[in-house]
Amino acid sequence: MTDASELPQAAPAPGLRQLFTGMLLVALSAFGGGLSAWSQRIIVEQRRWMSNEEFLTGLTVARLFPGPNQINMAVYVGTCFRGLPGALAALAGMLLVPFTLLMGVGLLYFQFHTLPALDRVLAGVVAAAAGMALSMGFKILDEYWKDPVALLLAAVTFVLMTFFHVRLVPLVLVAGPLAMAWYWPRPSQPSPPAGEPR
Amino acid sequence: MPPLLLAAAAATCTPMRLNDLGHLLQVMGTFLGLSLFSLGGGNTLLAEYHHLSVDQYCWLRPSQFADIYALAEAAPGPSSMIVGLLGMGAGWPEGPGWALLSAYGAEIAILLPSTLLMVVACLSWNRLRDSPWRVAFERGLGPITLGILFAVGVKILQTADTNAAGVVVSLLVCVLMLRTRISPLWFMAVAGGLGAFGLINR
Repeated sequence: MTDASELPQAAPAPGLRQLFTGMLLVALSAFGGGLSAWSQRIIVEQRRWMSNEEFLTGLTVARLFPGPNQINMAVYVGTCFRGLPGALAALAGMLLVPFTLLMGVGLLYFQFHTLPALDRVLAGVVAAAAGMALSMGFKILDEYWKDPVALLLAAVTFVLMTFFHVRLVPLVLVAGPLAMAWYWPRPSQPSPPAGEPR
Repeated sequence: MPPLLLAAAAATCTPMRLNDLGHLLQVMGTFLGLSLFSLGGGNTLLAEYHHLSVDQYCWLRPSQFADIYALAEAAPGPSSMIVGLLGMGAGWPEGPGWALLSAYGAEIAILLPSTLLMVVACLSWNRLRDSPWRVAFERGLGPITLGILFAVGVKILQTADTNAAGVVVSLLVCVLMLRTRISPLWFMAVAGGLGAFGLINR
């Protein structure tokens, strides 16, 4: 990774059209994966719209607030330079090609999914995708391993949803404030640095 | 066991009688309301999507939900675009045109509130950064997100796998996802091949 401070001066702030094309390029480059790495490469290293530090701040904000992380990141970049119109331009650039493609796939799927051959292939693909879904929790488990209260909270959440079929919205509305009260930074003990992106 | 339960749920799911526009509004209202609950990058909503689209509104059958999840994961771009496919499924009975309209409506609805909040957050980040609310939110909601993600994983596993071979493949992929950096597209391709030869079925 190149240190942003060694790079020549930052480029002038991008306009709406540049935001759109920049994010379009990120989306196209990331065919096959690695969306986060590609947005950093293009925004920080190639276009030099932001320093690496600014980019990482953006990732922190994008992860903190609701919404898909990469989409939030596009919104962050757009907002930084051009406010709400910039956010919409960046969002459109990021989603235009992948979403259009997905709509094509979707139309084909709904038209043809009853074909036995396709259904057999999908039965296999689905098993692999379920494995991916299962890995999501394990991926972030390490961060909470040393905090018994966090593990308890996670376990209670899991049990309520899986065995008692508690729905997401009421669960978050009740458990969220309780957890926030528990983790409210206390003035007596210095709060450890909040989870920076790994 | 899960397959039986799911079959029963599918059998009893009776769609509400709505006209075309009513369907579209139902789809958009649903996702507008969920947008701000997409913690931890949006995957936390998957169990809720399943409940709404399979059990409550009957947009999809359980196997279709699993298929759509796999398609959204395999397709390039953010996997949260699954909402577009859910919207498409909801509008499909009214024909491809309505299905597309419903898909775009669903995606806009799920993104709009979180985007607006994100814009506000960016503009006021300097004040938010050191606020105790920010710290408490981040540290408190993290463990809840963790629990939800495990619940989502189990839910999708139940929906996807109805035979032993499928479960074995899922568990294997889960371990490989955690231990290696192989692109998940390879796992899906290989598993698709196994499915084509009838080694995984449903």
